[in-house]
Amino acid sequence: MTEWLPRALGVLLLLTLLAPVFGWAAGQVGYAEPLENAAEATGATDDAEAVGTAPFSDYGVPGLGSAAGTFVSAVVGTALTLLVAVGIGRLLGSDTDGPH
Amino acid sequence: MHIPDGYVDLPLALLFAALSVAVLSVAARRVDGELSDSRAPLLGVVAAGIFAAQMLNWPIPGGTSAHFVGGAFAAILLGPHVGALCVATVVTIQALVFGDGGLVVLGTNVFNMAIVEVYVGYAVYRVVAPYGEFRAAFAAGWLGITAGALTAGLQLGLSSAFEYQLVTTLAIMGVGHLVLGLVEGAITAVVYRYLARARPDLRPTAPAEASAR
Repeated sequence: MTEWLPRALGVLLLLTLLAPVFGWAAGQVGYAEPLENAAEATGATDDAEAVGTAPFSDYGVPGLGSAAGTFVSAVVGTALTLLVAVGIGRLLGSDTDGPH
Repeated sequence: MHIPDGYVDLPLALLFAALSVAVLSVAARRVDGELSDSRAPLLGVVAAGIFAAQMLNWPIPGGTSAHFVGGAFAAILLGPHVGALCVATVVTIQALVFGDGGLVVLGTNVFNMAIVEVYVGYAVYRVVAPYGEFRAAFAAGWLGITAGALTAGLQLGLSSAFEYQLVTTLAIMGVGHLVLGLVEGAITAVVYRYLARARPDLRPTAPAEASAR
């Protein structure tokens, strides 16, 4: 039924390992998203307000370096998303596969 | 495309929050009881994969970057209603835990990425699918993210922080993502084709087979 799950979890682990690499590469080229370009063009940049209550703000971990913080954030976020989404799936699920 | 707090005027943010709640409620009702238990882990893995993939910023020559958003991909693989709930989960966790996108504008970001991109992407996929699933998935990813970006451009251009420069915000967001969306389309098409060939039972059109396994 879910024999594909171990391989899928392996792919998720690979993606979390790649996150610090891409984070480093993006920092090297000084990228910007179109949203940032639009804000700059209209003078809105200073109006942005950070979410002060986020525990892993900007995908970093206080006390950890950039790469390690990005990796920990990737692992935490991926695992949390997996758990929450599976929970939503169970809530919305049928008993097609049997009683639950 | 994650809009921070302070960029969209409060009345607009409230309007799009209400629209998001309404659409996701309908989606949840449409899904309720029809999602087999064997597909619940798939929903989890797709959502987690989208979260992880969104952390991979692809540098584009010229100083721009793009990351996979995954709305159209989720819609094609899970169906539009489950896809919307899937991406909404990702966007909400990004805001609450990582501060990626604001809290006041959470409903706005959900509307753009989990509703517009998902449903537009799915509609494009259905229209183009008779001409080939690969090109349909590509077009869905490409035009889905562009539609989401145009919606964001509309919200920003109608807000005081952007001095109501609607033409500027629509042009930058729309044209920018029309180009960056080629990456979204390519990833959507390649990953979907791989999954469709490797595990055709995971497609939404094959729930019975998936349940039987």
